Amino acid sequence: MSNNKYRILVVEDERSINSLVEAILTANGYQAILAQTGAQAQIMAVSFQPDLILLDLGLPDMDGQDLIRLIRNEFSIPVIVVSARTDERDKVKALDLGASDYVTKPFGSAELLARIRANLRDCLRNRESGMPQEAFHAGDLGIDFGKRRVTLLEQEIPFTQTEFNILALLARHAGKVLTHETVIKTIWGNSDPGNVKKLQVNMANIRKKLGETPGATHYIFTEIGVGYRMLEEES
Amino acid sequence: MKWKNFLIAFGIEIATFCVCMIVDLLLDMKMLTPMIFILGVFLVSRYTEGYFYGIAASIASVLLVNYAFTFPYFAFDFAPTVSFISAVCMMTVTFITSTMTTQIKRQSQVKAENQREKMRANLLRAISHDLRTPLTSIRGACSVLLEDGASLSDAQRRTLLAEMQENSDWLVRMVENLLTVTRISADGGVKINKSPVVLEELTESAISKFNKQHPEHPVRVDIPEEFILIPMDAILIEQVLVNLLENAVQHAKGMTELCFSAKVDGTEAIFAVEDDGAGIPEDRLPNLFSGYLGSERIPADNRKHNMGIGLSVCSTIIHAHGGTISAENRPEGGARFRFSLPLEEKKDEQ
Repeated sequence: MSNNKYRILVVEDERSINSLVEAILTANGYQAILAQTGAQAQIMAVSFQPDLILLDLGLPDMDGQDLIRLIRNEFSIPVIVVSARTDERDKVKALDLGASDYVTKPFGSAELLARIRANLRDCLRNRESGMPQEAFHAGDLGIDFGKRRVTLLEQEIPFTQTEFNILALLARHAGKVLTHETVIKTIWGNSDPGNVKKLQVNMANIRKKLGETPGATHYIFTEIGVGYRMLEEES
Repeated sequence: MKWKNFLIAFGIEIATFCVCMIVDLLLDMKMLTPMIFILGVFLVSRYTEGYFYGIAASIASVLLVNYAFTFPYFAFDFAPTVSFISAVCMMTVTFITSTMTTQIKRQSQVKAENQREKMRANLLRAISHDLRTPLTSIRGACSVLLEDGASLSDAQRRTLLAEMQENSDWLVRMVENLLTVTRISADGGVKINKSPVVLEELTESAISKFNKQHPEHPVRVDIPEEFILIPMDAILIEQVLVNLLENAVQHAKGMTELCFSAKVDGTEAIFAVEDDGAGIPEDRLPNLFSGYLGSERIPADNRKHNMGIGLSVCSTIIHAHGGTISAENRPEGGARFRFSLPLEEKKDEQ
């Protein structure tokens, strides 16, 4: 497996974007498989067994949301949604339906590659669930999952239970966006919309403890209207 | 809607009839009856659409006057010339009033249509003007790279490519602004989705987006420490913030400091974007937000190719939120853009 290239299925009906994405992927050691319609995508997903799917929401033959549902029924591979800024709500819906992340058009190659990397790693980690991650390090921030300790510049910072749980959740999926709903479901076990405020308050406290201020954010990034994303771990 | 005209006409006729009965019974002044009916018919013609209800009302009025208020009472009698003449008068009033009101309505419709057409033409002209400059630059850079790429130095190639990227970023933002305008003003209806947003998160997201585009212009941020929730469509308000910051970068010549601040004042949140640049020319202040300047006002060498579409988008978004937006020159120099958002959701909104 390790000397094989990752296979990425690109579902996009516009030729120019297709060839652009293909160029970015092949230049960076991935194998790109192209599909221009939802029907093609379904067939190719079955026959090529890709490691990740890059899906444009505006397909000519079917609703992107339906395609996500179909893919989710059969595979557990990550799906990254490619969307225009104006389909904000479609994007959130796609994430709630089981898409794992998104990139907004127009995207740079660095951004696209970062998303793909983070989601492939996240998926791999989920599969090897026998070996839970023990620690997280990014910049000056260190998290010890077992001892439930957070350090910034080697200094330990006290966190409440809930705050630590949220931070740990974000760190375990670092680089990948987590929607409000996902975090709330994982932390509080239900999807009561009243919990959004609880989450927002906890996030504000976490940011304060990590010394994050608008314009000087290093670890936790707000994806407005969607959720939060943690800085990727250094490898 | 279909029944509206009918109900108006019917209501007015009944009211007229009742008034006449009362006048007749209490004051015994028969001479007032035709006058009151003429008033009724006039009102019907004025407040219904087209000719139909006016004419129907006048026929009904003639019959009612004939039947109830002229001798013989409560019976039809078409013989007397008096009732014939009054019938002719009423028909004439109806016809002329209906014609006039219909015409006025049509005229104002045509006028509004013309106005809209003019706005659209202005907008189109502004857009094509704005699009042409970056497109020309991108197109030019492409052809240089394709045709003479080999003879250029690495640094030259990189400069051209960086310029292409900058120009296409600009085009993307422009298109996003246009899409927002059409989304908000389509059908005249406003579809904004408010949800409580943390001020700090909004600020962080907007500033980091701006920083990505303009790392050379750091923004000083001044917002309260407290946890503040403001109901808004976060995507749109973020666009307002980025537009205002970008506006400063484009227009505030000699700017050394760019500042964003927000505070809560009573029932509203007040945001401000300030710079210490050249300020806004006084003659532009009054219609800064109304959008597209006429073509005669485009300076020939307008390198910044921005005709204020960004600002008019801001104004559209803020007004759709029930807030206000304003611009002024600071006494100490530079420009200040300020907008407010209501903190509490008004019940009658939507």
